[in-house]
Amino acid sequence: MDELDILKKDWQRANNTHTPLTSKEIYPLMKKKSSSIVKTLFYISIGELLLWVLINSIPYFSSAEYRAKLEATYGDSGLITVITIISYTVILLFVYLLFKSHKSISVTDSAKKLMESIIKTRKVIKYYVIYNLAMAFISLTVGIYFAITHDPVLSQQVAQFGNKEMFVFTAFILVFFAVFIFVIWLFYRLIYGVLLRRLNRNYKELKKLEV
Amino acid sequence: MDKTLENSFVELLEKHQNIVHKVCRLYTNNQDAHNDLFQEITIQLWKAYPKFRGDAKFSTWMYRVGLNTAITLYRKSKRTINTQAFDTVQFKIKAEEYDDTEEQQLKVLYKAVHQLNDIEKALVFLYLEDKNYSEISETLGISEVNARVKMNRVKTKLRTILNP
Repeated sequence: MDELDILKKDWQRANNTHTPLTSKEIYPLMKKKSSSIVKTLFYISIGELLLWVLINSIPYFSSAEYRAKLEATYGDSGLITVITIISYTVILLFVYLLFKSHKSISVTDSAKKLMESIIKTRKVIKYYVIYNLAMAFISLTVGIYFAITHDPVLSQQVAQFGNKEMFVFTAFILVFFAVFIFVIWLFYRLIYGVLLRRLNRNYKELKKLEV
Repeated sequence: MDKTLENSFVELLEKHQNIVHKVCRLYTNNQDAHNDLFQEITIQLWKAYPKFRGDAKFSTWMYRVGLNTAITLYRKSKRTINTQAFDTVQFKIKAEEYDDTEEQQLKVLYKAVHQLNDIEKALVFLYLEDKNYSEISETLGISEVNARVKMNRVKTKLRTILNP
């Protein structure tokens, strides 16, 4: 008789190792708040959406001075309108994708399918963050370019830069971008690393079986 | 929420709660963690219940939701670090029923099962519950062949843990 069969015999015999709950005790349990990772993931995705929308719109809507400066710098190029339309379309697209992938997570699927749906949702959020970082990078670069070429004060200063100063200036901007992106990347590694560590480990274990 | 639905759910869960207790027993080490996981599985079962169709057996459906919660959804509570070994408590209670050697052997076996990883535990659980490989493969989402292969590996692993 192998080990598991010895265990099986005991397992099936040991039917009442726990004091059974009465229906009165079950009712309050149903009403408790879930602490599942899907719920946490849902809150994170809502937070993500709001955070980036706020980051993108607060400076524009809260400061008339900033708005005036933007308009003065970019002029009538129509660039701002185009960017605004694109960014809100993309946000709506992500809201739709997130909603769809959250809906597809079902606890009654097989273990593997459930894990895949959660990983897919996490990927949607990941792409949203990557998109925002890319947009931040592009808009900062374009912003700096326009500031150097169009801003009266800054363009004069830059025009006076020698080779060395120009090099320091560019290096400073590059390092600033790199640090900015690295910090955000670390932050996400931490959030998702902690939240999905177990899921990733178990998913790998299931995938390993297929090789 | 519909009161009839609530009542029928509670009635079914009360009747089949042993399945949930067994999942908790395998995936937790102490009473507090057991209660936490039991609560989370109850919440998940209740959330999914409106979509439960009578064509599946409630118990079969519970295995799936219970294991999915234990393996994937549940965030381990801080209380799992609590050190009191759960099985020891149970074995003290059950000690009278068994002779010493069998009790000892089982104690070691349960300990060994607790050392397995989450997926291996799920396989062992379904095996102990007398599920066939087709059910095991459907619950976990792997092929039947792979379920068998993995089960054999788990048996070998258990043997290694038991006879290092």
